[in-house]
Amino acid sequence: MTMATKLKPVDIAIVGLGWAGGIVAKELASTGLKIVAFERGAPRATNPDFMAPQVHDELRYSRRHELIQNLRKETLTFRNDPMQQALPMRQLGSFLPGEGVGGAGTHWSGLHWRWTEWEHKMYSGTVAKHGKNIIPADMNLQDWPTDYHELEPYYDKFEKVCGTSGKAGNLQGRKIDGGNIFEAPRSSEFPNPPLTQSHNMVLFEKAARNLGYHPFPVPASNASRAYVNPDGVALGQCHYCGFCTAYGCEANAKASPHFTVIPLAHKNPNFEARTNSYVMKVNLDSRRKRAVSVTYLDAGGREFEQPADLVILAAYVFGNVHLMLHSQIGKPYDFKRNSGVVGRNYAYQSMGGVGALFPKDTYFNPFMGSGALGTWIDDFNSDNPDFAKLGFIGGGGISSGSNSGAPISRHPTAPGSPRWGKGWKKAVVETYHRMTSVGNQGSVMSYRQNYLDLDPTYTDSFGRPMLRLTFDWQENEFRQMEFARDICANIAKEMGAEQVLSRRNRGRYSIVPYQTTHNTGGTVFGDDPRTSALNKYLQSWDVSNVFVVGSSAFPQNAGRNPTGPVGALAYRLADTLKERYLKRPERLVNV
Amino acid sequence: MKVKRFLIAGLAALALTSSAWAEGDAAAGAAVFTQCSACHAVGADAQNSVGPVLNGIVGRPAGTYPSYRYSSAMRKSGLTWDEPTLRQYLKGPDKLVPGSKMVFPGLASDQDLGNLIAYLKQQQAE
Repeated sequence: MTMATKLKPVDIAIVGLGWAGGIVAKELASTGLKIVAFERGAPRATNPDFMAPQVHDELRYSRRHELIQNLRKETLTFRNDPMQQALPMRQLGSFLPGEGVGGAGTHWSGLHWRWTEWEHKMYSGTVAKHGKNIIPADMNLQDWPTDYHELEPYYDKFEKVCGTSGKAGNLQGRKIDGGNIFEAPRSSEFPNPPLTQSHNMVLFEKAARNLGYHPFPVPASNASRAYVNPDGVALGQCHYCGFCTAYGCEANAKASPHFTVIPLAHKNPNFEARTNSYVMKVNLDSRRKRAVSVTYLDAGGREFEQPADLVILAAYVFGNVHLMLHSQIGKPYDFKRNSGVVGRNYAYQSMGGVGALFPKDTYFNPFMGSGALGTWIDDFNSDNPDFAKLGFIGGGGISSGSNSGAPISRHPTAPGSPRWGKGWKKAVVETYHRMTSVGNQGSVMSYRQNYLDLDPTYTDSFGRPMLRLTFDWQENEFRQMEFARDICANIAKEMGAEQVLSRRNRGRYSIVPYQTTHNTGGTVFGDDPRTSALNKYLQSWDVSNVFVVGSSAFPQNAGRNPTGPVGALAYRLADTLKERYLKRPERLVNV
Repeated sequence: MKVKRFLIAGLAALALTSSAWAEGDAAAGAAVFTQCSACHAVGADAQNSVGPVLNGIVGRPAGTYPSYRYSSAMRKSGLTWDEPTLRQYLKGPDKLVPGSKMVFPGLASDQDLGNLIAYLKQQQAE
């Protein structure tokens, strides 16, 4: 390989231009510092990339995954446990990391949560209630080194930027019926009212109330009305087209970085985005205490070295962890010794629940909907379940929604129907409108045996060792899934379902079918450098001019979507940098 | 006589209504325009974005704003955006121009339409 071309130094290099990178870029651009953001994928704008009617192409986006990571360039290897030989993931399945300007923020659904107080303090909150003995020996249960109350202004800001549609259930401590009474206290109401309910949501709400639960509309960054955010960016009204998850939004109704924060960063001449640019490595000085530059390849495969004073990793979970490991920043996690930090505490989420078949002449109109259109209960989420009695730590959000009825993905048939041919087609027509689901989105804790490291065998197309994922479901999670499935089944019956279809039995985690793109951990933040890669300010303990932002910082995963806290952490990081680090670039926490 | 007086009163009421339509309240129209602003810009620094710039839209031949890539349906529509045509289009874009890129359910209220058009009339061509 020829020598990399060395470029003129800049102040800040940002790796990844989704929500996390986009927010940090927008907030820091006003400092006047020279900022370069690297995005491995293409530049994207609503016009022309997401215009109707072309964007409503299920084959292109939902099956061929146009907005998702190109596995021919880089992928990871996978195994269920440390005794197995990991193999490369050659087809997209279980999760769909975004690629291109806007990242996963272009193809997300828009479920926009604030995590609860306990979800930021899972260790101390659990111990306070149940004592230490409730925690299984192999579970690495950890607190966030910050809490909900410190993050609240950032949660609030991110909701207002996104025009989130919802109904408060806890306004400054006042519980409000119809909102989520289990949410942590919020300083203000959602910027937009809830979306319009679909038929199955109305049935779910009624059934949940009959059973004594507390249903509420899912907080949705799909604008329920035309809205101008505090940055002056206009969002259009969602028209429930049903092409949301996996697609870009032609109405700018689904809040996405490519039309909100990123164009605002571009208004500053000191900000530049380099697209189709793969960052290979963060280069350190000879003492390995300071990052000096990043090495990247441009669209033509030419290698460049970009010197920078500050490096912010804002890629997807796997990208952040891979860059940390490949650049040898922080001690890699060693499963055998349960020591080291980078790659530690990888977690995921479980998607379970039941299918619900309703009597003939029920019309759910599943083709109408939006990504985050749903009604939800938190009665069995967060730390609301009795862990001691039920035998698991964690919970799950239970919901029924209407977000996708496109025909390639959704062609339900009643049990016992023909599997092909004319009979199958007839069964799909008869079933399409009367099938819905009651789902459980379950938390997943972190374990000693679930982790990320570098694969000893396989390399990516650039010659770097691939990231290796070792993950399987554990007893704690099976118990949560089984407990929640029974509740889902009861709700479905109460809704009036003629048949309740159970979806999953105990089995090993499979990377093949799509489940959820809610991967977490690997560069966890914390107060103890022995169990975290980053300090409470998201700064590497070892290399103080490297910061990492995204759900790779979460110590474990909750039973709800991660984008809300990702955005809050990104806004908080921008404040940390502006108010502290950039004034005095040094280690912000000493232990 | 009674009938005649009634008729006159009726005509006067009609005249009032239509003049309220024709004049429209541009300030109220600016508020209606927030429903358009996710896609369309007006004013001195306006740029094409999801939809074309709307400066000078009232009276403009359809599908002609520079540098905007219109659908072929819009380019070939042969329409001119006079007030009645705009009114009809904004009630349901895909009904008047099937195949238009404009994804918008339409404005139902005649008053909103009148106010919006009054506002758009104020947006002069560059």
